[in-house]
Amino acid sequence: MEAADSRERQARDYLEKHRIMELLRHLTSVLLFVRPEKPREYLISQLERLRIAKETGVAFPFFLDNSNIVAMFEIMDSSNKGSISFVQYKEALKTLGLCKEDEVLKDDGHAITLEKFRNEVNKRTQEIWLAF
Amino acid sequence: MDATTAPHLIPPEMPQYGEANHIFELMQTMLEQLLIHQPEDPIPFMIDHLHRNNDNVPKIVILGPPASGKTTIAMWLCKHLNSNLLTKENLIAREFSQVPEEAKWNHQGLKTVPNSLLVKLIQDRLHEKDCSRRGWILDGIPETREQALMIQTLGIAPRHVIVLSAPDTVLIERNMGKRIDPQTGEIYHTTFDWPPEMEIQNRLMVPEGISELETARKLLEYHRNIVRILPAYPKILKVISADQPCVDVFYQALTYVQTNHRSNAPFTPRVLLCGPVGSGKSLQAALLAQKYGLVNVCCGQLLKETVANESKFSELIRPFFEKEVAVPDNIVMKVLTQRLSQQDCIQKGWVLHSFPRDLDQAHLLKSLGFHPNRVFFLNVPFDSIIERLTLRRTDPVTGERYHLMYKPPPTVEIQARLLQHPKDSEEQVRLRMDLFYRNSAELEQFYERSVTLNGDQDPYTVFEYIESGIINPLPKKIL
Repeated sequence: MEAADSRERQARDYLEKHRIMELLRHLTSVLLFVRPEKPREYLISQLERLRIAKETGVAFPFFLDNSNIVAMFEIMDSSNKGSISFVQYKEALKTLGLCKEDEVLKDDGHAITLEKFRNEVNKRTQEIWLAF
Repeated sequence: MDATTAPHLIPPEMPQYGEANHIFELMQTMLEQLLIHQPEDPIPFMIDHLHRNNDNVPKIVILGPPASGKTTIAMWLCKHLNSNLLTKENLIAREFSQVPEEAKWNHQGLKTVPNSLLVKLIQDRLHEKDCSRRGWILDGIPETREQALMIQTLGIAPRHVIVLSAPDTVLIERNMGKRIDPQTGEIYHTTFDWPPEMEIQNRLMVPEGISELETARKLLEYHRNIVRILPAYPKILKVISADQPCVDVFYQALTYVQTNHRSNAPFTPRVLLCGPVGSGKSLQAALLAQKYGLVNVCCGQLLKETVANESKFSELIRPFFEKEVAVPDNIVMKVLTQRLSQQDCIQKGWVLHSFPRDLDQAHLLKSLGFHPNRVFFLNVPFDSIIERLTLRRTDPVTGERYHLMYKPPPTVEIQARLLQHPKDSEEQVRLRMDLFYRNSAELEQFYERSVTLNGDQDPYTVFEYIESGIINPLPKKIL
């Protein structure tokens, strides 16, 4: 059983290190959103783009670009006061898959503004891409 | 209510696309391969994996006692599925044919090949291009639990494991008649499988080691080992009795190998039940709705409800009801569209019955974007339908419904006052049945991947058949 446990741990560490689950989640979402005629070819083209971007250091093809982030912020900030509460911010990050369930985010007492939200989302997405 | 915590409204095209293209299974196999090989550079590995596109090639293991016919079955499957056959003999022959050692191995009767060597040979062979393109069939390997575990640790996992079984006495007798053709390597039998051509008959040789004693010894060895190998392949195992004609065994093996196993993909059932009046569609739909939480949509019922609800459609439909004429298709479609596009139908799935009744309605349904993913046709012979319907009675006093055969009324007094609905008279039933059968051939052709069931059984048996039709992946068309 020892060997089985350690191999399982090894497998989990591998998934963590290369952020495989996030990558697969992103690929599945893109597939379901675009719904190409030939899923395999489309997946291959996406992975090729990722590989080239990683090698040449060009900006990654983000799934969530600036306009989407603004739109999401505006949905949450229904009363248009320019900031969202901490709870909303945490929920949004969880929905985007950018933070895990039990990660503790510090609540500095101020409400989160659009700038801060956008920076945080970009920063986390960058972290994930760098691991590929 | 916070917008981000409300349930997401996923457009129905997404799950439909996912189901149709088996996206879940695609991602699952890719993840499996990633975890088995754990490459340093996942992206190029994934690109190669997708290019190879070999998720559905055959990966079969055939096990069985000596004289059960495994090699014959393995060879036939190989030819039929156009795959590669791997046996202990041909693995060794490939490896050592250039080396003079071959003579030594052959002389020793291939009895003492060490496990590690055999497994290494298997691994190398499976990495060759033709195996990854056309799949592989392992005949008689693994022989022991140790071999099975070693193969598993290397990440080689079959998708189907077939175990042939037959009583020992049959096997011992059968082995006495075994003959081998030295040129092709095919195995023949003096009684069961005698080649028709004279020249093959003349060539046949008696193989060594087929005396009763030898076979009994080999059987003992086999039984000792197989018990410990079987638990290694829990969900993909199938035992086929080898005590029947070769062709039967082959066909059973072939059908099994061509079925996919149940997958874990998320699945929202959209079931269509078709069948003549009295075949039990409403009952089955009610059972399905109750057990799986699907929404039961009965066309007739829906129309009646719309009339009663005094909605905008009720004005349109009411004159038709009053004149007892069939409601025209476009109005029915509007009502149906409204019901099926509601959130609960999209999320939970639906069971539709008593619609479509003919090809035009089916086309309309398809054009509106409602594609059922399981279609069932219930077949009931005419006499059973007559029996089921003409014996229905209602008690005018209590409103209770009885059936003179399946649910008879308790007292004679009640029986005396029972009335029959005019719709249930024999001529009416006959009319409605004819109407259905006129259109059923076209409908069956339209829904190509439909499943036909025997509806002439008790409701729970039929329900189990429907359930297995929904849960298991749709059977592949045999080419």
